[in-house]
Amino acid sequence: MTHNTMIDEWYPVGLFSKLDAAGRETALMGEPIDVARDAEGSAKVTGRNGRPLPVCVRYGHVWSSLGTPLKALFAIPEADQAGRRFVDVGVVRVRCSPLRAVENFLDIAHFPFVHTDILGAEPHTEVQNYKVEIREDEVWATQVKFYQPQAAKSASGGITTEYMYRVPAPTCAVLYKTCPPRPSEWDVITLFVQPLAEDLCDVWPWMALFDDETSMTDLIHFQQTIFLQDRSILENQIPRLLPLDPGMEIPTRADLTSVAYRRWLKRHNYTYGAQLVAQ
Amino acid sequence: MLSDMTGSWTPVALSADLPAGTVMPARTPAGSIALWRSDSGRTAASADRCPHRGMRLSHGFVRGEALSCIYHGWSYARAGNCLRIPAHPGLTPPEAIRVATQQVEESDGLIWVAVGEPAAQPPRLEGLVPLRSLMAHASVAALETAAGAKADPEGIVWKVQASQTIRLLLAPQEDDHTLIHVLLSDNSSPAQRIAASRAAETLRRAAEALQTKRIAP
Amino acid sequence: MKLYDYILSPSCYKVRLMAALTGVKLDIRPVDFHPGAEHRGPELLALNPAGSIPILEDADLILTESSAMLVYLAARAAPEWLGTGAAEGTARVQQWLSFANRLTASLGGARLHEMLLRPGDITALQALSIAALRELEAGLVEQGLRGMRFLVADRPTVADIACFPYVALAPDGGVSLDPYPAIRLWSRALRSLENFIEMPGIHRLHELKPEPHIEPGKV
Repeated sequence: MTHNTMIDEWYPVGLFSKLDAAGRETALMGEPIDVARDAEGSAKVTGRNGRPLPVCVRYGHVWSSLGTPLKALFAIPEADQAGRRFVDVGVVRVRCSPLRAVENFLDIAHFPFVHTDILGAEPHTEVQNYKVEIREDEVWATQVKFYQPQAAKSASGGITTEYMYRVPAPTCAVLYKTCPPRPSEWDVITLFVQPLAEDLCDVWPWMALFDDETSMTDLIHFQQTIFLQDRSILENQIPRLLPLDPGMEIPTRADLTSVAYRRWLKRHNYTYGAQLVAQ
Repeated sequence: MLSDMTGSWTPVALSADLPAGTVMPARTPAGSIALWRSDSGRTAASADRCPHRGMRLSHGFVRGEALSCIYHGWSYARAGNCLRIPAHPGLTPPEAIRVATQQVEESDGLIWVAVGEPAAQPPRLEGLVPLRSLMAHASVAALETAAGAKADPEGIVWKVQASQTIRLLLAPQEDDHTLIHVLLSDNSSPAQRIAASRAAETLRRAAEALQTKRIAP
Repeated sequence: MKLYDYILSPSCYKVRLMAALTGVKLDIRPVDFHPGAEHRGPELLALNPAGSIPILEDADLILTESSAMLVYLAARAAPEWLGTGAAEGTARVQQWLSFANRLTASLGGARLHEMLLRPGDITALQALSIAALRELEAGLVEQGLRGMRFLVADRPTVADIACFPYVALAPDGGVSLDPYPAIRLWSRALRSLENFIEMPGIHRLHELKPEPHIEPGKV
């Protein structure tokens, strides 16, 4: 199975703030790579046999590719907005498909069971209909609503949170959610996933928030809590690879975003971490 | 494992290790199962995979007579049909949403799961009670050597010392692992039971050492 | 009482859990362990040169070993968690508190490696983890044969709290808990205690609450 189309995408490979001259050894889709800072302080990424790889630094992270990205990394305009706090949450490794990691991030029906008393709670389990569409070749889910006991560090009690989800790249997802201190703005929470192998990934969450009260450490810990609660789910899904053909797994109306994501992956031949024939 | 022409029984767990309202993972020759006991005490063996997004059901929770998946709370009856999808409270789940199940029998403190359709019931334990289960990273052959006795369909009869004979019921697993259920006489004293548990640990150590030697060149 | 704490640290969780179970109010001071490595920064090294967390501060008292923190909380607020005071029970508590350090090294080391990319010999760590889990399983089996559901008595003690977190999070380090029925029952008994609190990676026991009746459309 060729995964050519995913070869030419951008992937996160490290935190820019943690980069040093000695560098860090990591990998992209099975190929060992090295991520370091050069003498001028810029990020430098090299692949097998020292071949230089494309680099960009954005959203607090270093990005690279094994191939030739045809366009610049996707834009998140909120990242340039004054007054926002930018949070590098830190990497977590998960033994799962990078595509499963993204799909879990897009899901809300699990909130009452996995993020109990934080993002959801019984009996508020119903998922109301929401809207899914493709905009400029990205998957978007809008008008998503869910009742949450403690939606964010900046929320002072239970609220019905509104969400939008966006998939701008095969292993990246962006969540826009109700911002309690500034109701006309969205808080932005992202999941940037680095595919190490088809069943192993490094997950780099990042955030751009309006919150002047909460300490940076508390913001980091809140997001790490949420992700760690998902990790033991991600490591126990069978099959490991994300099925892109119907048959193995049964979606409902609550899963519209995930259904759109799987179709979009298949359409683009983004199959690294996926399986195609129902087994 | 006890076989006849049409099927066989695998001993998967001790009854005492599956209290009411709990679920545990187990392996059978037909695949992984979520072995569970409803609140009323009835056992069931469901395929260890929720058909929604593939989450292991053995990580789930039991409420009443249903097993629910930890991921999205989808609930299944002992017969395998889906009873409830919390994201859609008004929806009666379609018949097509179900998990495969295997036949379970429980007797004399042991839980057995059927592979195929065995004609007979699982064997009775005459005068024996189960003590504990333990997993050995050793094949049946290594266990036989360590115990100095061959396994028959009812396990290994192992004479530990002059005073005590222990029966080891074996359920071979993948990768040269063997699940051992230690059985002993129903009139064993507490001291004998503790001694038998320790003896089983010693046997496992010996069998695993033999297994390693066989694998290492 | 001030606890220098990291939400993802099982050792810190031991103290948070003990405090919750015994009704002690802790003043939590979050430490940016990852990715910030704050535990190795000057402020925390001044408090604990070993560079580890948790750190418990109560007026003049500074404790840097989680077992000592558990004992301190019990001694202050709920001495029944220390055991009965008889020689054998006291010794068993000490045995398991020391044993808990092996769980931190093996299961904790495997978890840090698999999850947070810390260096280590993962094969060796997992082998040591399995050996430790088997010892815990054997100990719990024997306690069960003595009619006791916990490590030292038929009620939980600091010994159980010291051992529980790294065991419950064994799968984080690629070490399965599937083959240990006694550990499963013990873990469940602890998670069912009144005032039990979870940490990320340890799910709530939803079966402890009855099935809610949900009216569709009414959220």
